[in-house]
Amino acid sequence: MPRLELVTALEGHQDRVWQAIWHPTKTILATCSGDKTVRLWAPASHSDMSNWQCINTLEGGHKRTIRSVAWSPTGHEMATASFDATTGIWEHDQRDNDWECVATLEGHENEIKSVAWSSSGQLLATCSRDKSVWIWEVETDNDFECLSVLQEHSQDVKMVAWHPHQEILASASYDDTIKIWREDDDDWYCSDTLQGHTSTVWALDFDASGDHIVSASDDQTLRIWKMYKPNNAQGIPTPSNDPTYRTVCTLSGYHGRCIYSVSWSKVNNRIASASGDNTIRVFTQVTEGDEPAWEAAATIKDAHGVHDINNVTWFPTQQHGDWLATAGDDGVARIWRLVEDD
Amino acid sequence: MAFSSALVLTDLNDYIAPSQACIKPVEIEKSEDQGPTEIKVDREGDYYEISKDGGESKLEKASITLNDCLACSGCVTSAESVLITMQSQEELYEILNTNRLAIEQNDPSQHRTIVISISPQSRASLAAKYNMEPLQVHRRLVYFFKHHLGAHHVFDASFSRDLSLVESAREFVERFRRYMANGGDKIEAALQQQDAEKQQEAEDGKRRPRARRRAAAKNDEGEESSAQQNIPMLASACPGWVCYAEKTHGAVIPHISAAKSPQQMMGSLVKDYLATKTNTSPSAIYHVSVMPCYDKKLEASRPDFFLEQFNTREVDCVLTTGEIEKMFGEQNLQFDQLPEADIDDMFNKTVTNQDMQMAFGTAGSSSGGYLEYILRTAARELFNINDVPADPATTSSNARVIVKTGKNADVREYFLQNDDGRILLRFATAFGFRNIQNIVRKVKSGKCSYHYVEVMACPGGCVNGGGQLPNPNSEEVMSAKDWVNRVESVYQTVPGVAPEENEVLKEIYNEWIGDPLSERAHTLLRTQYHAVTQNLGNPLATKW
Repeated sequence: MPRLELVTALEGHQDRVWQAIWHPTKTILATCSGDKTVRLWAPASHSDMSNWQCINTLEGGHKRTIRSVAWSPTGHEMATASFDATTGIWEHDQRDNDWECVATLEGHENEIKSVAWSSSGQLLATCSRDKSVWIWEVETDNDFECLSVLQEHSQDVKMVAWHPHQEILASASYDDTIKIWREDDDDWYCSDTLQGHTSTVWALDFDASGDHIVSASDDQTLRIWKMYKPNNAQGIPTPSNDPTYRTVCTLSGYHGRCIYSVSWSKVNNRIASASGDNTIRVFTQVTEGDEPAWEAAATIKDAHGVHDINNVTWFPTQQHGDWLATAGDDGVARIWRLVEDD
Repeated sequence: MAFSSALVLTDLNDYIAPSQACIKPVEIEKSEDQGPTEIKVDREGDYYEISKDGGESKLEKASITLNDCLACSGCVTSAESVLITMQSQEELYEILNTNRLAIEQNDPSQHRTIVISISPQSRASLAAKYNMEPLQVHRRLVYFFKHHLGAHHVFDASFSRDLSLVESAREFVERFRRYMANGGDKIEAALQQQDAEKQQEAEDGKRRPRARRRAAAKNDEGEESSAQQNIPMLASACPGWVCYAEKTHGAVIPHISAAKSPQQMMGSLVKDYLATKTNTSPSAIYHVSVMPCYDKKLEASRPDFFLEQFNTREVDCVLTTGEIEKMFGEQNLQFDQLPEADIDDMFNKTVTNQDMQMAFGTAGSSSGGYLEYILRTAARELFNINDVPADPATTSSNARVIVKTGKNADVREYFLQNDDGRILLRFATAFGFRNIQNIVRKVKSGKCSYHYVEVMACPGGCVNGGGQLPNPNSEEVMSAKDWVNRVESVYQTVPGVAPEENEVLKEIYNEWIGDPLSERAHTLLRTQYHAVTQNLGNPLATKW
């Protein structure tokens, strides 16, 4: 049975850590916190992975909690989503090893909950308690143009995530649904609404191919959704001729409280979840197809002590594909390694 | 995205969603006493706070007006039926009834002159649905309001729109001159230089090195220089846009044109010019305006358009196209069965030629043609260029004005070219919330290179207003988008006549206003805007 082993604990934030997000290519972790800063962490040397330090702090860009942070696909830029209703865009100056806030995107009415860059690096999505999802296009010259303001959720939108290769967006909301957004000639529209969860959907993630989505909810379950294209063999109807998603597996009984975060490894296909019951769980797929089975592989209880775990993210590349980063209300970010032994 | 056709007054702007926080929270002043206080309610229902020493202090009643609530649109009170029945056809029926009684009882003091103004967009919406020409719709509306219901005058908002266009263009020319005199000339020269360089590079086939992003520099006070305060000028005819700007982006208010909208210009015409001409008190005139959206109700109820001296509003009641269609049903009439009546009132843009009437409008967008008219006028007044087409977007192969469509159909750029190729004026349209976001962002960061932007809240322009008739066809027969295009093309069948050629208007203007630069002109034809300040003392706003 595999197990999770602690690699290191990163302390330094003065308030709860909301997210711990890996650099797309390098061994650098970005954490964002209620203390209005983003901290970047890296190991002191390549040979000693247990000794990490804070290599940079991004501050002064926001007036309130930074709730979410996202790296651009190149890793040269970062976006920060804050409760102060603005999204900060930061650029890395390689010569000074400094991060500068080059743009502040306004428009949301209140707290922004999540920000995400598309795989092409051309689009940015933000979502907020004001029930809207905004899509921005990256232009040259620090300019971000608002492409669309999507107001179809009926409640607070908790998270947005882009498809790994296509310009398709998914959003998770307090209204218990997930919405899929696509673009047609003139504007973005909701092509599918995924219903099934019986309470707030807090987080979601795509698998490596983009054909599946895993979602985490306050109803204490994880759902795995599979995409069905129009005219699919299984006979699933696709209204408006767009692909639709259906639940193919529900993982329930594994968490005793709200599940706040979920991550689907693009390297080893495992799913990790973090919950208000203070545990982190890892799941492995056992069978594939239209009724796949997943089983629990590893668990860590009280990963952040008595504190909520807000976020869990797998390392994005082969280099450390067995690493997980977690962020907790204890103000600490932790890095874990999934050890396959016995 | 489909909108429910059962629109309610509670939606401020159909394309700008209701906000979360109430902008008119109840302010609770802390009393001097510590400890518990008693509240007493007396027989009249007034509340008193009783302090420790037995003294009573009357508590103020929290009040919220229609105006506050519509501006905010997020709070519970806006759903109250009381607020909804204000400015509805019910009110009009009551006034008509009172009139009837007044005539029966021979009591002129109870009698009010009823005036109806019809917007060309509402007309186009009805024309598209009932498969008629706008003129036929107008003539039937004249029959319905004057001959069937008993109103006294039916006017065409296209007439007062000419006033709004002329005033907007005048203001733009003033602003542009001030801009050029205050450093704008250097900014323009720099931009023209940039254009020339880009042109040169494109010709040389060079690729510009990717400019490193740098934070936008702000001047020391973080404020705009005086040159930048005048330009760009933003359209003011759309109350959805104006209210959004007042509530959320107070910083752009100095850029919004002070010219009144066609609705409010008609209000001035009716309650000042007409009142004086007919020797009627403005409060004895009831002015109803038929408009394509609900936001116009909000505009009519602005305190700036309340004539304190006469205790009356310039526009008393706004009814949407949908609401008057309902009226036909309520009166047990079929609109397409109604007879036509002659259009014989003064504020109309029709020409009668041997029993044949023709209706006229204005060239340009269905939101009033502001951009087109101001561009034409500015080209003439500022640069002595006289060959700008009336509607550059539809005039193919014209070298004078380059029209470029932006990322979507609701955003277009218009560039006025000099004979030597230099761009003299840069105008743009921005319809719809997402495009408004981009303009506001550019203006706020001082990076807006446009001189004038026709900002409208509804994508597709006013023909797609929230109060217009919904698509009567099923989606398979005609999509929502195609329906809007149809209404737009019906709207455009009314040929445009420039305000300068509106002889009736010119006469009235000279008689009524006289000097366009006078204070009187400014009082009658211009208005102001007020940023809504956030009340930080709101106990209901939780922040963590």
